[in-house]
Amino acid sequence: MGFHIVKRDTCPLWKKAGFYVVAVLAALVIGGILLFAMGVDPFAYYSRMFTMGMVGNKIAYKAFENYLKVFVPLALTSVALSLAFKMRFWNIGGEGQFILGAIASATVALKLGPTLPNAITLILMCLAAMLAAGLYGVFVAALKARFGTNETLMTLMLNYVALYLLIFLGETKADWNFFLQEKSARPVFEDFSALASFPRIMLGKFGLNICVILTFVIGALVFVYLKYTKHGYEISVVGDSTGTAHYAGMKVNAIVLRTVFLSACLIGLAAAFKVGTAGVLSTAITEDVGWTGIIVAWLSQLNTAIIFVVSALISMLHYGSVAAAATFSKVDSSFANMLQGVILFLVLTADFFIRFRIVRSKKGGSK
Amino acid sequence: MEMDKLGVIATFIHNIIVYNIPLLYGTVGEIVVEKSGSLNLGVEGIMAVGAIFGYIVGCYTNSLFIGIATAFALGALMGLLFAALTVSLQANQNITGLTLTTFGLGVYFFVGNAIKAVRWPIMSDYSNIKSGFADLPIPVLSDIPVIGKGLFSHNILVYLGIVIALVMWYYLNRTSPGLRLRAIGENPGSADSVGINVKRYKYLHICLGCGIMGIGGYYMGLNMSGSFNSACWINGYGWIAVALVIFANWNTAAAILGTFVFGFFNTLRVSGSSLAVAFPEPLGWLAKVPTQLYQALPFIITAIVLVVTSIRKREGSGLPAALGLNYFREER
Repeated sequence: MGFHIVKRDTCPLWKKAGFYVVAVLAALVIGGILLFAMGVDPFAYYSRMFTMGMVGNKIAYKAFENYLKVFVPLALTSVALSLAFKMRFWNIGGEGQFILGAIASATVALKLGPTLPNAITLILMCLAAMLAAGLYGVFVAALKARFGTNETLMTLMLNYVALYLLIFLGETKADWNFFLQEKSARPVFEDFSALASFPRIMLGKFGLNICVILTFVIGALVFVYLKYTKHGYEISVVGDSTGTAHYAGMKVNAIVLRTVFLSACLIGLAAAFKVGTAGVLSTAITEDVGWTGIIVAWLSQLNTAIIFVVSALISMLHYGSVAAAATFSKVDSSFANMLQGVILFLVLTADFFIRFRIVRSKKGGSK
Repeated sequence: MEMDKLGVIATFIHNIIVYNIPLLYGTVGEIVVEKSGSLNLGVEGIMAVGAIFGYIVGCYTNSLFIGIATAFALGALMGLLFAALTVSLQANQNITGLTLTTFGLGVYFFVGNAIKAVRWPIMSDYSNIKSGFADLPIPVLSDIPVIGKGLFSHNILVYLGIVIALVMWYYLNRTSPGLRLRAIGENPGSADSVGINVKRYKYLHICLGCGIMGIGGYYMGLNMSGSFNSACWINGYGWIAVALVIFANWNTAAAILGTFVFGFFNTLRVSGSSLAVAFPEPLGWLAKVPTQLYQALPFIITAIVLVVTSIRKREGSGLPAALGLNYFREER
């Protein structure tokens, strides 16, 4: 063997950032070559995609509002997932927790919305969603703590249980099913936007949904929580080594349960934001944020501040590819998923060069 | 009338097998991968990539065999990507697998829509694909009433899937390379110390397993007669396969039975109503069961299996001890 790999002790920040930038640029170049091969001008396509079709658009503010609707659930879900991932608890059940949160908040909106004032309904929607999602998540954490059940596979299974519950509610016409419109003969989800809807702050024509502000506030709180509180410190110790945590006298199981509950609660809150903005359920309510959020959290190295930047970029990729597909009919919007995959593959590669060095082995070997 | 009822049963059994053997491919492939200690959550995406390339190349060359070979090769290529990232570059397996799914579905729709914009191959136009995928009744056995048609009259991919599952069972449990592979899945450090080339074994078996998944994807495309629309041919089967691995306790032969169990619910969802019509007295209630319950059942059952086996603490469990953990030699 001519080479072997050794772990790096440290890697300067500029070098880290450099590796990641090169990885993302390389992914864009690969995508660009593909576009070029299809006879599409890559520069024109990318500029359309990254401006999300807003340039020269008379209702650009509308496009930006819609972009934020994609961004908010993704950013909040990614932040939430990063809490669990920091302890190496593989919560890949974001989809399922999001769905239960959505169902719970829709229940509140439909049942209590007609009698309660808008603001109270919204608060109750958030609380109900957080409770439902939190319990769904902590259930798995309890199984892991008690029996050592594999949480990756367990949360994965529960995603589909929740999904089919939602589809069941969406497709079953029955007297008890208040989720559907009574008048319609076909099963259609009931619209509750008139009963409960998050307020918007109007800045000229542009309406800034209050959920956007709340998401940034929660992001800042989580950042502080992880960095400057005892809980945050405990999370990082448990993540490094449960053995060390035990030795230091920490109650590892309690910390795991508490943090997973918080993680799932925030995913539920993301669902409440989504439902309270859309004003109606749908079987595709998650828009895959439970999955994409995992990738975003990882791309961001579980750093809360970076998660916001990466969520903004990934949302741009998805929203922008749909906008660009309107101009470039040859390029399907699934291009975004492919590009997202290539970006992550290359970032994972860059990650390797940050964590390890390749060293030429000396003859005879040093070991 | 009596014959008609038997016909309904025969069709029901036939459908269990025809529509669910793709699940067996996904499961057997994933078992081979997981036995090497790698948890690959990209089954859905790998099957999708195998499906789209297998179908298009198979049609254009008008050869079922080339279709199967292409699906295998593309699946293996996705496996190579997974292996390069997780084995050589030490990337997290969960993340890599999930990204493989996103990426694979992206490739599926991108390639599919690009071909559709030019000219989509219609399966019935390709005589060799159509005849190659037709049922091949096994002589004598297929003449048995009811179960003859139900069990012994199937297309070549059904037989191939069963053969692969049995061969893989033999390979994993009765040969020395199989034993070495399982040793790697349990403890790569000790396997390495007795001179097993851990990297080579992992690479080879991840590619092999993913290739098998690719064929399963191609099969699903053929089952849909290659009609390409907004729903992916794989339609969640990759995820059910991940569940079935657990249900089958990482045993490829048991996976055949597991496929029948999961397939049974799946088929009840599709043709439960025809059973209800044929047997209104004992089975009339079948028409009332919500279809979503059948869809959720594989996941509910697997969740229960997961909890029960974890309570019984690995006794007789086939779960590889080092599953999901990367092996870095210098940290041994």
